Amino acid sequence: MRQFSMTKTIIQFILFLFTLAVLIPLLNILALSLSDPARVSELSGLGVLPKGFSLINYEIIMSNPFILKSIFNSVFITIVGTLLNLFLTAITAYVLARTEFVGKRIVLVVLIAIMVFEPSMITEYLLMKDLHLLNSYAAVILYKAINVYYLFILMRFFQEVPTSILEAAKIDGAGHFRIFTRIMLPLSKPALATLALFYGVYHWNEYFRATIYLSDPNKWPLQVVLRQFVVTQDNTTLLKGVEGMTPELLATLDFGSLQSATIVVAVIPMLLLYPLILKYFTKGTMDGGVKE
Amino acid sequence: MRKISSLKRIRKDWILYLMLLPGMLYFVIFHIIPIVNMKLAFQDYRIIGENVWVGMKHFEQLFSSPAFKDVLMNTVIISTMKIIFIFPIPILVSLLVNELRFGPYRKYVQSVSYLPHFLSWVVIAGIWITLLNPVNGGVNVIRDFFQLPSLDYMTSKEHIRWVLVYSEMWRSAGWDSILYLAAILKINPSLYEAARIDGASTLQQMRYITLPALMSTVVTLFILNLGFFMSAGFDQVFNLMNDSVLSVIDILDTYVYRIGILNGQYSYATAAGLFKGVIGLVLILGTHFLSKRLTGKGVW
Repeated sequence: MRQFSMTKTIIQFILFLFTLAVLIPLLNILALSLSDPARVSELSGLGVLPKGFSLINYEIIMSNPFILKSIFNSVFITIVGTLLNLFLTAITAYVLARTEFVGKRIVLVVLIAIMVFEPSMITEYLLMKDLHLLNSYAAVILYKAINVYYLFILMRFFQEVPTSILEAAKIDGAGHFRIFTRIMLPLSKPALATLALFYGVYHWNEYFRATIYLSDPNKWPLQVVLRQFVVTQDNTTLLKGVEGMTPELLATLDFGSLQSATIVVAVIPMLLLYPLILKYFTKGTMDGGVKE
Repeated sequence: MRKISSLKRIRKDWILYLMLLPGMLYFVIFHIIPIVNMKLAFQDYRIIGENVWVGMKHFEQLFSSPAFKDVLMNTVIISTMKIIFIFPIPILVSLLVNELRFGPYRKYVQSVSYLPHFLSWVVIAGIWITLLNPVNGGVNVIRDFFQLPSLDYMTSKEHIRWVLVYSEMWRSAGWDSILYLAAILKINPSLYEAARIDGASTLQQMRYITLPALMSTVVTLFILNLGFFMSAGFDQVFNLMNDSVLSVIDILDTYVYRIGILNGQYSYATAAGLFKGVIGLVLILGTHFLSKRLTGKGVW
């Protein structure tokens, strides 16, 4: 027995406009990247359907060894970084969640202090220099190996594991490391999956530390390369090393479309994981009350 | 007596402390050491040999520099604009989304509006530069429809701060409504039923039930936002910046990056960073205690 309500209809319509404002710019980028370069100038800035259809922009990007390398670099940083994040966060959270751990208060105070006072990017940079980590992935991965917010989320999760299970394992002679690997980790698969997504999204989107720490362009992740095209408008790199690039072909290309195709490539992994992200992020954010 | 028993407990569970070691090493090396090293603000940096203590030299230089004043002003202006114009939007979004029935349409609205939050600022900059393109960008297509002349927003000193406001709004309006929605879902449904029986309209229910129930979340998030006042959104500015508008959107963090990382004036840049850090710390601590006072809930 739902009555027709004018207010509700207006609300639905306002929210529809809101989603259009989010979607149209995204779909316009996709349309730009898929349009036939000869007809791309016909595409309106609000257009969501490609003019003609061509995969030439993607072919060119995918035949640029520099871009391919950067995609590989991004995947590498994301996987290795996330695994390290998970290991360090989980093992630290385990200790902090144990009641028999002496000194929990001090550690928590230090962690909160770390959360409120971030070191300056200059001293962090000089530290990497002193440790001879400049131009290595270690600098990019290590500087945020544990996120304190996520550490607290996992700690709270571990604290909720019934102590009876742990006591039983202890009686069976299991030590802390064994309890951690055989009981805690398997029990917290959903929490770990959530954190893996948190950390994974972070690594995939990270560009700033990579910009300042990695001076060798061959080590750049995709986001840094994309920034080079989009923000600094460096089009020579976009075409460097592309096989079979002739002046004739070059003349037919549209740089805006090539940039759009690179943006799409950078967004695709996020879109593939988006159903999972929606499920876990939304829940994690609501439960943890963490805004990140 | 207690000390001995603590020691005993540590010895018994030594493996626990071994497990804590990697995490603590990480925090000491990558957080505590760089913070301690911010003493560089009171020293002159030497490539070879020990740094030399110079007292407040870099701070005096900083406060007498007109460039620093501009940067500070920009930071304050941009942060204030963001708080005034962006902060209320997620509240509004959550109120509206709450009126949708659980079902495919609600799911569609939420899925779409959360999406920009997961894009990097590099990607968002690319999208917005395209959207604001003076030749054929979406916004200028709309202007053209209303027979207004085309505008180059990205290079206009007059408009670029609004570009920061709107792009941030685009990115976060949906996602930031989540915490408010979570608070709304906790409201007792019988309140709405009673209101409906009394003949309250949708808008009246929003005004007299939902909004008051949201107030504590609003206050908490507002002060949390104040705590990050001095940051003003580094990633955003870093990616939307160009030479023609640098003077109006250069903020503290981008300034530190330029003079420190790019120009190598490490001590001077650290002084600027320390200034920002201390003000930020005061704001965060201040808002934390204020929040505890007002809502009984701290920032952490």
